[in-house]
Amino acid sequence: MLLEVKDIHVHYGKIAALKGISVEVNEGEIVTLIGANGAGKTTTLKTISGLRGLTSGRIIFDGQDISKMPGHKRVVAGLGQAPEGRGIFPGMTVHDNLLMGAYARTTNSSKELAEAYELFPRLAERRDQAAGTMSGGEQQMLAIGRALMAKPKVLLLDEPSMGLAPLLVQQIFSIIEEINRRGTTVLLVEQNAQQALKLAHRAYVLETGKVVKSAPAAELLDDPDVQAAYLGGGMGHEVPGQAGQAAPEERA
Amino acid sequence: MNQKTLQRGNPVSRFRNQLGHFGDVMHDRWMNAPGWQRWIVYIALIVAALLLPSESIGSFMSPDTDWASILFFPIGTFVLLAIGLNVVVGQAGLLDLGFVAFYAVGGYAMALLGTRMGWNFWLIMIVGIGICALSGIILGAPTLRLRGDYLAIVTLGFGEIIRITARNTDEIGGPNGIRGIPHPPSIEGGPVIGDIEIFKYGVLYPQPYYYLLVALAVIVIILVKRWEKSRVGRSWAAIREDEDAAEVMGVPTFRFKMLAFAIGASIGGAMGVLWAAKSISINPNDFQFMLSATILAAVVMGGAGNLPGVILGAFLVAWLPERFRGLQEYRMLIFGAVLVALMIFRPEGLLPSRQRKAELKEGSGGMGTLGAEVPGPESRGEEVASK
Ligand SMILES: Nc1ncnc2c1ncn2[C@@H]1O[C@H](COP(=O)(O)OP(=O)(O)OP(=O)(O)O)[C@@H](O)[C@H]1O
Ligand SMILES: [Mg+2]
Repeated sequence: MLLEVKDIHVHYGKIAALKGISVEVNEGEIVTLIGANGAGKTTTLKTISGLRGLTSGRIIFDGQDISKMPGHKRVVAGLGQAPEGRGIFPGMTVHDNLLMGAYARTTNSSKELAEAYELFPRLAERRDQAAGTMSGGEQQMLAIGRALMAKPKVLLLDEPSMGLAPLLVQQIFSIIEEINRRGTTVLLVEQNAQQALKLAHRAYVLETGKVVKSAPAAELLDDPDVQAAYLGGGMGHEVPGQAGQAAPEERA
Repeated sequence: MNQKTLQRGNPVSRFRNQLGHFGDVMHDRWMNAPGWQRWIVYIALIVAALLLPSESIGSFMSPDTDWASILFFPIGTFVLLAIGLNVVVGQAGLLDLGFVAFYAVGGYAMALLGTRMGWNFWLIMIVGIGICALSGIILGAPTLRLRGDYLAIVTLGFGEIIRITARNTDEIGGPNGIRGIPHPPSIEGGPVIGDIEIFKYGVLYPQPYYYLLVALAVIVIILVKRWEKSRVGRSWAAIREDEDAAEVMGVPTFRFKMLAFAIGASIGGAMGVLWAAKSISINPNDFQFMLSATILAAVVMGGAGNLPGVILGAFLVAWLPERFRGLQEYRMLIFGAVLVALMIFRPEGLLPSRQRKAELKEGSGGMGTLGAEVPGPESRGEEVASK
């Protein structure tokens, strides 16, 4: 197992955001976390990448307990993240953003740089543009490309499809698949459950800080509860007769 | 109605755009200038700074007060303090409202070590810089876990604590402060500029102190410029633009924020030492919050993050009220109006850096506007990240 999150609890002040989440990611997999707004998906990723401390529980990465390791050292250990809301450096050029991705590296990164430009030709066209002036989709590409610069073992992606046009969503997802095929393990957080479940090998469903379901992704695609709550179809048996209400965001 | 507002807004924004365009052109020309041309400009600037205290310039620049005196304080002092604060605010993006504290620590270091221990100015300068760097770290260690507005409030408090502690501690003079601070040791028969021996430090002539200040400023500017272009500068820029993203890129954000604090504190402290050595006596009221606020205004107005801008901003903030001293009480009114006008025409500052402009457009770039989450002082969890 490459990454193991063991029963983590995380608080914002006195508010418990995560109440015992356990997630396992094996080498070579794409694992997805789905769940409604505020379920704790972003918090889970932030805790894994070291931006939030945990109250209890453990995070094991590559056989090593990293629960107390500061975030910047986890990058060196092999965890790469493209934060939610893109988190690019707006004042730096596209190229400088990518170079920041290689900040922690001691070895030459020209191969990864070429690869990032190859995966996202749009970035090559915009090399010297200030990243803050790029479109949302372009920023998303940049965030992913930048995370790849560190040559991570596990790539943490927080809603890469957020705010993108349908065509671009398809494109981003096929690029994630390609990244995975080239050997990077992916932990993906998504609102776009349909797409995420089609792409991923396994999935976890989060609700108010807890894992309520975990199964192979294909199984969840057919699961009536999941369909009702996240895929906008079928009938959930918790809220019989109110499927329309229980099926929330229909996402573009 | 709508149409009208648009038309009224037009000349303003047109003027603003023209200004911006002019700035871009000059910036490009400067970036493309060959090295020797830049050196000529640098040397010309230093020579100009050395010739600045002359009477003929002074009669225009400051008809009401002694020009050479105000060149040292407030103008030169503000410039140096602004360069120091710019490291913290402009480069690392940390809003510090208590910068005067480090100036005070430097001043008191000079006063105490000079009068009680009889140490030499140069020795105190070195020790004082060390003490200030240390005080920057002591303040930073607990507070730099906070972000944005919280950090601003804590630093503001620190500035006041230093001043009030000085006032209430009789061992260091209490409200009366310290008198009889020694001058730097003079060198007899040194070079002369305009009748003034430039290494002869006394009460009569401010010029020698001014030259000392210019030398200090040149050293500080060279160092700050070097840091800015290095990995340190890139780390600060990343922290300023998005602290969380910087951390997940592998930037040890906490350590670099501490470094910014320590460097800023050292510069402020060095200025404090020099200022106290000229002033003979200091007291806690020399270190009011107003000074922190004014220096911050200078940094923001000049163009936070861009050294020439910051220097220009500090110069104007210090010089304008002196220039218009003849207008008595009205000068502060005019000064305020100028500040407001500047923020309308150039919200990014007089000479902003290009990078900062892009950041401001995007709405990030530190100084209390950190778009990222702002956990309250009691939130747990910061202890793991960025230690
Ligand atoms: N900085 C913060 N301060 C206080 N509470 C927070 C903070 N960030 C998140 N929370 C709370 O923690 C819970 C989990 O939030 P989180 O951002 O992890 O949700 P999410 O699953 O990523 O949601 P979304 O799909 O909307 O991005 C929410 O109840 C949220 O209000
Ligand atoms: Mg989220």
